[in-house]
Amino acid sequence: MKESNNIKADDAFAEKARQLFDESVQNLDGETRSRLNRGRQAALAEIGSGNRRWAQWAPAGGVAVAAAAALVVWTGSSQIEVMDAPEVASDMEILLTEDSLEMLEDLEFYSWIELDDETIDPGEPTNNVG
Amino acid sequence: MNAYAASFAVSSQAEDRKGVDTLQREARLNRFFADVEKRALRIAEISIRDRDEALDLVQDAMIKLARNYAGHPPDEWMPLFYRILQNRIRDWQRRQMVRNRVMVFFGRNTDEDDFDPIAAAPDPAGRAPDEELQSREAMRSLEDAVAVLPGRQREAFMLRTFEGLDVAGTAAAMGCSEGSVKTHYSRAIHSLRATLGEHWQ
Repeated sequence: MKESNNIKADDAFAEKARQLFDESVQNLDGETRSRLNRGRQAALAEIGSGNRRWAQWAPAGGVAVAAAAALVVWTGSSQIEVMDAPEVASDMEILLTEDSLEMLEDLEFYSWIELDDETIDPGEPTNNVG
Repeated sequence: MNAYAASFAVSSQAEDRKGVDTLQREARLNRFFADVEKRALRIAEISIRDRDEALDLVQDAMIKLARNYAGHPPDEWMPLFYRILQNRIRDWQRRQMVRNRVMVFFGRNTDEDDFDPIAAAPDPAGRAPDEELQSREAMRSLEDAVAVLPGRQREAFMLRTFEGLDVAGTAAAMGCSEGSVKTHYSRAIHSLRATLGEHWQ
């Protein structure tokens, strides 16, 4: 009985949270909506251009690695007492590398899709995902 | 000559068909983005508490989906899109943490970059009646409480409650099992109810 009341209270809470959230979405100002629209148009212009991206980022990756290496040398001679040089180098690499997770994302997506095919019963509805 | 003409006609038809498919896919992706972008923006904004940055993250996620996954079946777009966005958000938060560490390392005071909830709040559209004001305040309390949840609980709560994804879709977007989603979601709800108190409801 207590558990059932708790579930009802959870559901009521979630429902109120959802209503407030929807309201805040509806109240987005014109400038924000306009920026979203521009972002969407920019994205649509990129359809299918993924294969060209790795070549495009290769020089940036090289610069990032070189900058990180330079920082290791520099921090090693001056500021090592404040923070470990490799840690700062690693931090700088994170800051300088634009798409550090993209390769991982691709691998994760493909393994997810493969797993999805294997584990989800074809008869089971997978609604709300499309 | 006839064979050449026939071959040209077949080739031309195939090109036309390809063009039509591309246009249809673009139109569907446009509708998908238009449907999801505003909620995605608010979800990102609640996570990182900065609207400009959230706009950038949502645009990045849309670009990534369009570039690499537009050819996937449309019913996969939603979990794929939120998977990308959640990765962007986590990456942003990681960078922010690192950036603060580096600023401390270089001896720069970062106080001036502190989050200002009033400046980041959405612009009010005209004068709001009392009821709307109460709703905004309730939403702000909710945002504050959601923002301090552990990351995975926050993701599960927002994807389930705000975006309305089912458990399977949330698990795909978060890259974890359905059992984990249920656990994170349940903990999030209990924690939020405890933080916000009965009067909030």
